[in-house]
Amino acid sequence: MTRRISPRRVSGGFTLALFLLATCAGFMGLKLATDKVLRMKVPGSSIIYVPSGKFLKYATFGYSALAADMVYLWAIQYYSTYEIPDRFERLDHIFSIIAELDPRYTDPYEIGSLIAGQEARDVPLAFKILGRGAEKNPDMWLFDFEAGHIAQMQLKDFDLARKYYGKAMAVPGAPDLIKRLFASTTFKAQDYQTAWETWLEVLNTATEDRVKEIASNHLYQVKAAMDLENLKGAVGRFREKYGRLPSALSQLVMTGILPSLPKDLDEKDYLYDPGTGEGKAPTVWWKR
Amino acid sequence: MKIGTIALNTFREAKRDRVLYLLFFFAAVCIVFSRALAILTVGDRVKIIRDVGLASISLFGVLMAILMGTGLVYKEIDKKTIFTLLAKPIHRAQFILGKYLGLVLTLFIMTVLMAVIFLGVLFFHTFRVEWPMLTAILFIFLELLLITAVAILFSTFSTPILSSIFSLSFYLIGHLSWSLETPIRKMKPGAGRTLAYVLYTFLPDLENFNFKTEVVHNLPIPPGIYLYSTAYGLFYAAFILGLAIWVFRKRDFI
Repeated sequence: MTRRISPRRVSGGFTLALFLLATCAGFMGLKLATDKVLRMKVPGSSIIYVPSGKFLKYATFGYSALAADMVYLWAIQYYSTYEIPDRFERLDHIFSIIAELDPRYTDPYEIGSLIAGQEARDVPLAFKILGRGAEKNPDMWLFDFEAGHIAQMQLKDFDLARKYYGKAMAVPGAPDLIKRLFASTTFKAQDYQTAWETWLEVLNTATEDRVKEIASNHLYQVKAAMDLENLKGAVGRFREKYGRLPSALSQLVMTGILPSLPKDLDEKDYLYDPGTGEGKAPTVWWKR
Repeated sequence: MKIGTIALNTFREAKRDRVLYLLFFFAAVCIVFSRALAILTVGDRVKIIRDVGLASISLFGVLMAILMGTGLVYKEIDKKTIFTLLAKPIHRAQFILGKYLGLVLTLFIMTVLMAVIFLGVLFFHTFRVEWPMLTAILFIFLELLLITAVAILFSTFSTPILSSIFSLSFYLIGHLSWSLETPIRKMKPGAGRTLAYVLYTFLPDLENFNFKTEVVHNLPIPPGIYLYSTAYGLFYAAFILGLAIWVFRKRDFI
């Protein structure tokens, strides 16, 4: 037995379908129209009331890692929206939330510090974010390494950089490169003795010839810097005593200012310019 | 006429629902408590009262709409009273519209009562009636119109628990869908982006009814948005009600 559908019901259905189509088109069109109306907003107002990660963690019902992913994804979009002029004001807050939700998630520390250092030009904040990463992950060398890199490249503060590299290389499993960076920045911070000892250690422990060569060249550089500094002091004392610059470095020995003249790592004599009183290494260290 | 009768009966039925009074009680407690919360803050205390008050009206209004709306049609089917009703010369669309309007009337009265308490608390703090708050409250009510329609739609084919979950999901999606805009802008042009854009325009955007930030911070509201947001809410509610009628027409109660 077939069921008959009355024409009235068919026309009712047709009218309803038309109504649904019309209202759907209507609200979709209105959605686009409302988007075009620029509403004034308190910049960053959407994140002002985001609670701290510690409290948010309880609200995630065990899905804190997923919540961290979501906040991180959102943060990437948010901080790459250049129309928000004061988007960096809550940078620390947002990345601290991610750190609380998933302390082992390394990307947010790195990207957060990158945004802080490069875009917001807030280097102390970059250090703070990386410091949080290091504090929560004491078995990871990455954060101190990144902080050292920022101090070295962005601030040119070699003393600070070597402190960070020193902490990073102390973490078990840290790559050898960090020790070389530590030695290099220590040299630039003019702590020649520590730089010498570190490069010597690199040379003695290196397994690759390339690394041995790098360490040897740096040892040459450190020794030359130490010797030239001693020579400069001796030339200064000669000038004080005789009122003129020595015509040759040998005069420093002849007058008893130095017991003997230092030689470079390749047993070559240092070069001397009697006109300026400046000494220099006979070989360019990185061309050895 | 028939719609009005059903609406009035729905209103009378809603009046007897304890859930309504319980939610209203909690809303009132929250609004009054906002004054105590304000004491704890350092700085602008009125802002805390405004924020907590408006949030309470919105949140408890939504809970009223969902918890009452999801049971409206289901109860009639479950208790078999639908047979008596549909045996009379009532169109199914009239039945749905009557139920909807009855609940809207209930929610309107509840919103007015919550608004009176809220404005009263604000008055005791600032000694002036803060009329701009009514803009935010009016659009909260508009949002409730849409949520009620959604609750009734789910009520036509699902149990109250499932309907509540679906309606709550609709509410959450509605308040998060705006965040799709940024990823869409960053997508490469093509079919994927077009699809995402269609989805973006189709998904509810309940932020169109959110004027809480503007009124609390005294920000200027562009006049055009009132018209567009109101029309958007009404069109979306009409679409959802149309769907509810369509589903309800298809249902066989034998």
